[in-house]
Amino acid sequence: MNTDDVLVILAGIVAVAAVNWWFFLAGREPKAKRDARRN
Amino acid sequence: MRDATEARPHGAVPGARPDAAGAPAPAEPTRLTIPVSGMTCAACQARVQRVLQRTPGVQDAVVSLMTNTATVHFDGAAIAPRELVARIRATGYGAELPREEVGALEAQQALDDAREREFRELRTKALVTLVAGAIAMVVSMPLMEAHAHLGAGVIDPFMRWTTAWISPALRPVAPWLYGVPAPVLSYGLLLLTGGIMLWAGRHFYVRAWRAFRHHAADMSTLIAVGTGAAFVYSAVATLAPGSFLSRGVAPDVYYEAVIIILGFILLGNAFEARAKGRTSAALRKLVDLQPATALVLRDGREQDLPLDAVAAGDLVLVRPGERLPVDGEVESGESAVDESMLTGEPFPVAKAAGARVIGGTINRTGAFRYRATTLGAKSVLAQIVRLMRDAQGSRAPIQNLADRVSAVFVPVVLSLAIATFVVWYVFTPEGTPPLRAFAASVAVLIIACPCAMGLAVPTAVMVATGRGAELGILLKGGEALERSAGIDTVVLDKTGTITEGRPAVSDVEALPPFTGDEVLALVASLEQSSEHPLAGAIVGAARERGLAAGLATSFRSQPGKGILGSVGQRALVVGNDALLRDSGVDVEPLAARAAALAARARTVVFVAIDGRLAGLLAVSDPVKATSRDAIARLHELGLSVVMLTGDVESSAQAIAREVGVDRVVAGVLPAGKVDEIRRLQREGRVVAMVGDGINDAPALAQADVGVAMGTGTDIAIEASDVTLLRGDLRRAAHAILLARRTMRLTRQNLFWALIYNVLGIPIAAGVLYPAFGVLLSPILASAAMAFSSVSVVTNSLRLARTRPA
Repeated sequence: MNTDDVLVILAGIVAVAAVNWWFFLAGREPKAKRDARRN
Repeated sequence: MRDATEARPHGAVPGARPDAAGAPAPAEPTRLTIPVSGMTCAACQARVQRVLQRTPGVQDAVVSLMTNTATVHFDGAAIAPRELVARIRATGYGAELPREEVGALEAQQALDDAREREFRELRTKALVTLVAGAIAMVVSMPLMEAHAHLGAGVIDPFMRWTTAWISPALRPVAPWLYGVPAPVLSYGLLLLTGGIMLWAGRHFYVRAWRAFRHHAADMSTLIAVGTGAAFVYSAVATLAPGSFLSRGVAPDVYYEAVIIILGFILLGNAFEARAKGRTSAALRKLVDLQPATALVLRDGREQDLPLDAVAAGDLVLVRPGERLPVDGEVESGESAVDESMLTGEPFPVAKAAGARVIGGTINRTGAFRYRATTLGAKSVLAQIVRLMRDAQGSRAPIQNLADRVSAVFVPVVLSLAIATFVVWYVFTPEGTPPLRAFAASVAVLIIACPCAMGLAVPTAVMVATGRGAELGILLKGGEALERSAGIDTVVLDKTGTITEGRPAVSDVEALPPFTGDEVLALVASLEQSSEHPLAGAIVGAARERGLAAGLATSFRSQPGKGILGSVGQRALVVGNDALLRDSGVDVEPLAARAAALAARARTVVFVAIDGRLAGLLAVSDPVKATSRDAIARLHELGLSVVMLTGDVESSAQAIAREVGVDRVVAGVLPAGKVDEIRRLQREGRVVAMVGDGINDAPALAQADVGVAMGTGTDIAIEASDVTLLRGDLRRAAHAILLARRTMRLTRQNLFWALIYNVLGIPIAAGVLYPAFGVLLSPILASAAMAFSSVSVVTNSLRLARTRPA
């Protein structure tokens, strides 16, 4: 495994984390707001 | 009273019925149906729905992919309809306020037109893109050969295969192409691809970007990321090939794949739009029933008026062979009217003065005049169309599975695509071009589009409701279908369901000193005040015999038992043996006669005059010709059949024997029907109740599935899950069979859509490569994706051929 491989693996991990953070965490409605809407 | 229409925004109707007492409605939610355009998959639909549901002031929102509408219940004081439309537009889809007072027929017509336009546009884009893709492929041949000697093979297996075949043939045909410098070809392809992406694929990128900003992802995201990555990579290779060559990588371009992928996806979308249009064919047939003009007698002249100029109360003329333009009541003339298009009833129905006629049916034999009653959005045809539209746009609970899957699907696929790239890049076998990692991850993105999953349920529901309508069965949407499929017990009301519901007096017996006519005349006088079906039969029999009816001076009804009252000086008790016994009258002298009549399925009514048993009347209600066959079919479907009736046991048993019912519950009071259904449900049975929809309404509501047997004009359609437009019990068996087939097909659809993705993604990622050397080209992935959507829709269309049970 060379430096390029390590860089690609690290970049991949960061990218996967970013995708999941953006779609699952950052997009989540704040709990207080959600409760307010449901009530 | 506040006019319920006043405060409404255009096209909106209040969710609840207007308060009859006139009390100001407390924050009643306003309902608005907004046409939404551009949605192609479950994820698109889920996204619009989520945005609407999260909008302050919105209480509920349901978005339908099939009817391309959003139905929103919202607080009119908190948010304006215009704002709702703006919210939808911000997600990247088209939306506009519905036109004011648009009838269901016009709305359907507008929807069909929009769908046709969408299909044509997609088809043009797909064809042009595929032609451009073919050109790009040919132009790429010399480029690939030019790069081959740089030590890099063609990375895409599909392109490698086509190169091997086409290139040798192309060289003699267009040798000049091989003389063009590689950079010129690259730049040409860059421009062509950029142009195609902007013109034909623009909406994918716009939507993907808007979705991304809202932390959401849908099918457009996968397409945009897949083709966008390929395009950016190729553009860098074209504009700065040095940066590739310096690392020993051929500056391969990937333009033809971008164009062909877009072309296949557009082609798939075009097929989908066409097939979706076909699923609503039954609805369109209904819409087409309405003629454009009506011949109206106004100011003593016959005038051919457009339909919207016809007013309630207008006298409409119809000649033989013409279609009735509006609903109404016959004034003069006689004819037979073919109502098969609405009720499935094969024989023309005789109409004379006073009869109700329905707009859209065909006048067969005679000419007649009738007075227009309900028009426009309130007409029977418009109501049926609206109910069907609502049904087709409704969601089956099984759909939630597809929604839940597709909401997490896209981010997961993006992660998988990244992982695919990393794994390929790091573990790529010695000597393989590192670009293969890139091709595999693009293939993962492209094959994973969840379109088929989004189409699996709604197309099936849509075709099933359409097929149902053709058979005279109105299904109230996906949930009704899903519940109907799970039914194991069918409860039938006797009168009007198994029998004709037109009882007639068959026997009159009198004990001296009374005569038969005397008894009948007195009872008829009292029954005039009653609304019981038997009362009509008795009053009719007296009229037939020319007996003058007297005036009842008092009248009291005991539901399920009979009536008490006086006519002139006579005190009468009319009803079953229990009522007479309660009144201190012994029915013994006529008991044997009554039992004999009951055994012949007659309903026996005892009569006491001034505290003395005076006689009895027997009423028979003939069994419908189709009932026996219908019950046999229900048995064939493995259902147990229960008959509920207010009649005495022996009379009920006689009917049951005649039609073959397993179980009879006799002597049930109207309120007892609900209890009986509840009791069956407690036994763990899933119960469908079939009734005539008016007096059975509570029982229909209690049952898991309420089946109303109407005549097509009945607004009791609203109260039931399934409405049989024709009074033929066999249709109930058809409805259950259709529901079962639909659910089976839905599960098949979901299974195939899921399997397709579950198998497609790993193959695209390259799991088969180490063992078999199989790698999926992104181009083939896009073709497979288009194919999967089309196959799901085609599978659903099979329901349109469902034969009656």
